[in-house]
Amino acid sequence: MTALEDPILPTSLAWGLLAAFSVLWVALGAWLGRRNYTAADHMLAGRNVGLALASATAMATWVTANTTMTAPQLALELGVWGMLGYSLGALGLILFAPLARRIRELMPHGFTSGDFIRLRYGTFTWRVFLGVSLIYAFGWLISMAMAGGVLINALAGIDYRVGMTVILTVCVIYTLLGGLRAVIGTDFIQTVIIIAGAAFLAWMTIDRVGFEAIHFDLMEERPELLSLLFPAAIMFLFNNLLFGVGEIFHSNVWWSRAFAFGRNVGFRAYLLGGLLWLPIPIVAGFVALATPALGINVPAADMVGPLVAAEVLGLTGAIVVFIVVFAALASSLDSLLAATSDLVTRDIYRGHIRPQASEQAQLRATKIIVVLLGLLTWLAASYRGEVPVVGSLAALLYFTGAFVASAIWPIVAGLYWRRANPQAAAWAMLLGSGLGLASYFMIGWYVAALVGAAVSLVVMVAGTWLFPRPFDWDRLAHDDRDASPGRGNPEVAT
Amino acid sequence: MLRLAASFGRLPVLALALVLLAAPALAEPRFDDPPEHSADGGFTLHWEAPGAVVLERASGPDFDDAGVIYEGGDTSRVISGLPDGEYRFRLRAADADEDAWSDRITVVVEHHGLARAFGFFAVGGAVFLVLIVVLLRGRPRG
Repeated sequence: MTALEDPILPTSLAWGLLAAFSVLWVALGAWLGRRNYTAADHMLAGRNVGLALASATAMATWVTANTTMTAPQLALELGVWGMLGYSLGALGLILFAPLARRIRELMPHGFTSGDFIRLRYGTFTWRVFLGVSLIYAFGWLISMAMAGGVLINALAGIDYRVGMTVILTVCVIYTLLGGLRAVIGTDFIQTVIIIAGAAFLAWMTIDRVGFEAIHFDLMEERPELLSLLFPAAIMFLFNNLLFGVGEIFHSNVWWSRAFAFGRNVGFRAYLLGGLLWLPIPIVAGFVALATPALGINVPAADMVGPLVAAEVLGLTGAIVVFIVVFAALASSLDSLLAATSDLVTRDIYRGHIRPQASEQAQLRATKIIVVLLGLLTWLAASYRGEVPVVGSLAALLYFTGAFVASAIWPIVAGLYWRRANPQAAAWAMLLGSGLGLASYFMIGWYVAALVGAAVSLVVMVAGTWLFPRPFDWDRLAHDDRDASPGRGNPEVAT
Repeated sequence: MLRLAASFGRLPVLALALVLLAAPALAEPRFDDPPEHSADGGFTLHWEAPGAVVLERASGPDFDDAGVIYEGGDTSRVISGLPDGEYRFRLRAADADEDAWSDRITVVVEHHGLARAFGFFAVGGAVFLVLIVVLLRGRPRG
């Protein structure tokens, strides 16, 4: 990513904003987490989150650095379809609504998505799933830490590592202090900031530039962006939809919320969260279409949103973007830190290292793992550009698409098909990821998730049809209290 | 130079002379690893330059219809939304003569065929449809 020639925000003002919001989030974390006594309190907010907070956390967590920075990038690269296609990610949240209800019914005492896969499919499939899940979670954590550092550097000229370290440290501290309760509480406030900020920027862009000028200059300079028969954008539509579905269906970020929301809240919360999220990428992405009319140079595609905002609104725009993206980053980073630490605590620490760990030992482990995850993320993000990983934010994001989309069918079949085959579930993830990655390199980034999901579906259906393995649903409810590998579900262990 | 030659020997001095001779050429703006082909009408042009540059785009080989698309001190530009065709780009330092173009490249834009695009669209639509059916049934199978 290329930094701007001259920082738009004065450094002292940027430090003031950074300090003010850091203090706000940490103080809220400490206050919200003051009644966390057990691992269940810390990890699942007492399993009784109400509809307003539940909808806000679903929507705010799904608004990430990717939404606020990649939605404009997709509008710039794939035009109108890119912008609308990105908003189809809302279907991930909406379609998770019935799953959330079923998860809560099947596993009233569950903790993680890993718990479900282990009990439903056995150890081999569980380990494949953990691999997919941790690759995605870690990639997402690093990309968000990187995005925070780059954005602060680009807007205010503050050193990349300093900005990245501050954002990451703030998120680690308040996640540590408040657990999921703090994450959900701060998400509510961050949601209000994100919606108001994105709407303000879009409205000001239309007001200052005008639809007519935007349309005319696009037709002159980048006509394909307005074409409804733009081939790559047509390929991208379902790819993005399935990527979003894969991200949400498999990730413990969303499963932990399904366990945390009160009874009968999950369905309505995810439905409402999805509907609230739907217009955000359109509003955030639209501003990128004003680029030709504004005559600004975009040195790196993922910087287009902040650049347009700064051009249209000057210092005010830069402040709004800074606050919105800081809120978006924080709301996703904290959720991912909390959910990934839960997954590592339950599925690696308790599942593989100390099966008999007490509640208090798990609570301690969760906190230590949050710090370790923060340190690992900081270490990886510190070497941005020096490690041979995928180049840009969007490229890294869609690289993980092959992995997560291949997990859609093992999850759906595991929840709804009594005869789903455990081995087929593992191979659906392995072959889906492999062929999805091959298509990423051979065809383009806009088909990786689509291919992964299609291959996964074929393998899951064929495996289950040829070798059905009946399963007793009641086992999930009975075994999820204290099951451990090897004794939780011996029949399906492979 | 003679003192240097006496101190360090002939080969390093030759190398130094080559570097000095090459220096003016390196100071001219140059495209850095330019793309040759695009299947989605977009790419990013990077260049190396000591100062501000002028970047022009044309569709013909003789640059008859060339137009300035960027002038300034950045070192890259995102191009997107181009239809099928051959696009020429040329680069010069902003303070150089108007005809002193230091580098030219051609990028061929050839979009994926619509048959392939709708093929992927159909596969994605089918996977999505199966997903909707499974979720709408909303009860365990078997």
